[in-house]
Amino acid sequence: MGLNKNLKTISYLGVIFSLLGLADSIYLTIAHYTAPTILACPESKFINCAKVTTSQYANVHGIPIVFLGLIFFVVMIGLQSPMAWKSSLRFIRIGRLVFSSIGLVSVFGLVYIELDKLQAICLYCTGVHVLTFILFIITLIGSVFLDNNTHSINAKTTKN
Amino acid sequence: MNQKTKRNLFISLGIILVVVILFIILILTSPKTSKQSTQSTNSSGTKPAPAAIVNDVTNVPETTLNAVGIGTANNKPIPIKAPNLLANNKPEVLYEGAEFCPYCATERWAMAVALSKFGTFTNLQETHSSTTDVYPNTQTLSFYKSTYTSNYITFTPIEIETNISNGNGGYTTLQTPTKTENNIINKYDATPYLPSQDAGAIPFIDFGGKYLIAGATYNPQVLQGKSHSQIASALADSKSPIAQGADGAANIIIATICKITNNQPSTACTPLIKEIEKNI
Repeated sequence: MGLNKNLKTISYLGVIFSLLGLADSIYLTIAHYTAPTILACPESKFINCAKVTTSQYANVHGIPIVFLGLIFFVVMIGLQSPMAWKSSLRFIRIGRLVFSSIGLVSVFGLVYIELDKLQAICLYCTGVHVLTFILFIITLIGSVFLDNNTHSINAKTTKN
Repeated sequence: MNQKTKRNLFISLGIILVVVILFIILILTSPKTSKQSTQSTNSSGTKPAPAAIVNDVTNVPETTLNAVGIGTANNKPIPIKAPNLLANNKPEVLYEGAEFCPYCATERWAMAVALSKFGTFTNLQETHSSTTDVYPNTQTLSFYKSTYTSNYITFTPIEIETNISNGNGGYTTLQTPTKTENNIINKYDATPYLPSQDAGAIPFIDFGGKYLIAGATYNPQVLQGKSHSQIASALADSKSPIAQGADGAANIIIATICKITNNQPSTACTPLIKEIEKNI
């Protein structure tokens, strides 16, 4: 089963944004493990990477959140690949949607913690949040087109 | 595109719209971004520094500074091409910081050691950085209310905020830069003079319009858990991590000031300092 033009675009966009997210996550992970070298207070006081990435909320049951972000984008690269979009396996199609939704819900939680508990944001973390939201949109729209793609192929198959 | 697909697309766009609205609600209702009434009290969480601490900070032995060299200091000054920054016909060292700021808390120890080689402080205060920020409760000095006299430089400190919460996630205002000072800070505490990640940072120090320092020059970790008197007395022990950090940073600051005073006075601009100057 081939991908139509829309789905190819969706797939490429998905991979690109996943790679960007991975790059951002790698940077945050390295910063987390090598100790923050940002030895300055940002003038706005609200944008404070060190405060966010070294807070008590930076770990979930002992697992650094940056590490979870890294895993998220690695998996998303796979799920957004043309091969994954072509796949007729139901668990991949539904799994992609569920996984990106989990990412979105996590973003909500993290943004809430930044704004409400820490009253500071980390620009690099915000980058990850934005990319996760974009991937959710791509996955949602892609799933609609995927349905259309499947329907068209089925229609062709039936006709033939 | 068939009807079912069109319907699903509209539903998806609706979901996306709901998500965006939820984010907007989250942002608008957060304490930091909701309407704030900043309390500007001009009161500071400081008290005068005891004489013993002032004495320790302003009289670090030359032998100690020579033994430390640049120690564990990093964050070299950045040379800039700008008009001379002068005040009272002398090169001006303009500092912007805040009492809540842990990196400012770190840098002030080094600055006090360094500036003491060029002049005299009176009425130095002691305070601490925010208890809720990174490197919480770092014990430090404050330049607020202090005076500094020197034949070689004019030191202009501006502590813009206290360490007292304003109830809205920020801190109360302490000092406001003049229009001229603000113009300098806005211009040079920014790209292209500083790397983008340091733009707008404090502490920010402009040395005579020739060099900039943004951020702390040594790791704040060495000060964690230490009292004022412990930090002040450790400055004289060249082997202590505090001396390695603060005195090392002080030597870098001294070298930078010597660059703008044509190596005056010779008591401050020692052979070691002249060696350090070569790397600035």
